[in-house]
Amino acid sequence: MMMKPKDDKRLPDTVTGLTKVDPKRVEEFTKVMRDEVIPEVVKTIEKRRLQAASRKDRAIK
Amino acid sequence: MYSWLPLATIDDLAKIASQVGSEYGPEQAAEMLSGSMSSAVKGVLIEHDYVDKDYRSTYYNYYAKKGQYYRADCVRLHFFAEPVSFDAASLRLIWSVGELQDHYYGFVVLRPTGLATIGRTIVSPDVRNGACRFIISAKHKVHILGYRLAITGFPWMAQHSDISVCAHAACWAILRHYSECYSLYREYLTFDVTMMAQEFNPGGLVPSLGLHVGHVERVFQAAGTFPVHVTKTGVDDVSFRRQLLAYIDSRFPAFAAIQGDHAVAIVGYEWKEKSATPFTELRYASDELASLAVNDDNFVPYLPIGDTSVGPYHIRDIDSFIVPLPEKIHYPADAVDRLAPSLFKAADSLGVSLPKPEASIIRYLITSGSAFRQFVREHASEHSPKLLELAMNLPFAQFVWVVEIATKEAWDSNKVVARALIDATASVHDPMPLWLLHNDIQAVACDRRTLPAELYSADLGAPPTSGFTRMVQNLRTTVKRS
Repeated sequence: MMMKPKDDKRLPDTVTGLTKVDPKRVEEFTKVMRDEVIPEVVKTIEKRRLQAASRKDRAIK
Repeated sequence: MYSWLPLATIDDLAKIASQVGSEYGPEQAAEMLSGSMSSAVKGVLIEHDYVDKDYRSTYYNYYAKKGQYYRADCVRLHFFAEPVSFDAASLRLIWSVGELQDHYYGFVVLRPTGLATIGRTIVSPDVRNGACRFIISAKHKVHILGYRLAITGFPWMAQHSDISVCAHAACWAILRHYSECYSLYREYLTFDVTMMAQEFNPGGLVPSLGLHVGHVERVFQAAGTFPVHVTKTGVDDVSFRRQLLAYIDSRFPAFAAIQGDHAVAIVGYEWKEKSATPFTELRYASDELASLAVNDDNFVPYLPIGDTSVGPYHIRDIDSFIVPLPEKIHYPADAVDRLAPSLFKAADSLGVSLPKPEASIIRYLITSGSAFRQFVREHASEHSPKLLELAMNLPFAQFVWVVEIATKEAWDSNKVVARALIDATASVHDPMPLWLLHNDIQAVACDRRTLPAELYSADLGAPPTSGFTRMVQNLRTTVKRS
């Protein structure tokens, strides 16, 4: 019997007794991520990046 | 050459002036140290003619070029507890109980520079009055009189004021901690740090004029780290404080700029005492922060600073910080800070019940996948066999963010009721950055070998215990000695 290459191993191949989560539930999660979390994170990171860049010349003695 | 100074109280440290030349500033050093060190220190071994590599780096490149004559050697003071004494005739340390190591509290190097003489110092937080409970630390080897000792602490030194200022001293301390803690990073001496800050040789007056924040990033980049610079966006930027604590809690010391033009290294923290007040809104671990420990070159190390009353300045005065991170952390604290509260909604849709947000507290920190597995192994009795199997088999990247969710009752018992593990190498645009989300009866694991990632749920069975221990393995716990 041919063995699967290591990279082809999926989580259920290494941990038994797992049940695939209903894709609709996964979609609910990813929708929150796409619509709420990610846009806010991107906005916050950009704001901080600009703030940090503007303070690079701040003197410390 | 060695000599011994017994101490009835820590104030007797002033007597080192009778054994150490004035160029080492023994009186000023004794005054500074005795003001904040505990009387558990009962004896000082004075190591004369000590060759200190950090001072020598400045001597060869700076002090030797001056008209004023400076000695090449330093004096090192070693602090011991009561059972230890010194027999000068046989050059032996004598102790009556336990091992010599048990009674050693660290050392302070005195430089022969007349001014700002306290050099490389590693002392135990246990003998620092008021030291915070949790301190980032590494084990530093010490060789003295043929004895091999070690001291666990965080490096500190006073600034030279000319060849290095407070910002250099804070960078040096963080990099010395890294070189002692992680084999990946080499050791940088005081003068190396001065050189690393500029693209040209910063001779003459340049170092004494201080650094810019951009220079600090340059120092950390040159040392092979990947610095993240976080600046407070305003007085209402509560996320700034949460992120600062998260990095410290993750054992990454922070270079912090204090309002004005001062810089320190932040190296530890202490939680508030338990309170009877119930949670009425979603809280974060930083809301429970009593104080931070800072290594400030103007004060004895592990200086505690609080919100309002403790310390010469306060936590709110920190307005930006730089954390030298390893390469494989791509998911910033900003992203975790925003993702963590949304887990309540997500967990619900994924079938993992969490306490209500208004009754919960969130703590997040970075650890390595292997450290997380070690933690689970050490607390195996709290984990069902299936949860342990998941923790051992998920193919974590090198670093993971651990988000812990606790109720008030759990927090007061140093426990958590649920955890999420987030891939620290995920992109901020990744809609599924999770590795694992679990409470005590249900888990959802993410197979990140597929794109899009697939989720699998696991029934964990009856919980073996109530809740899970809060992960605190990353920092040293201070045991106060008096």
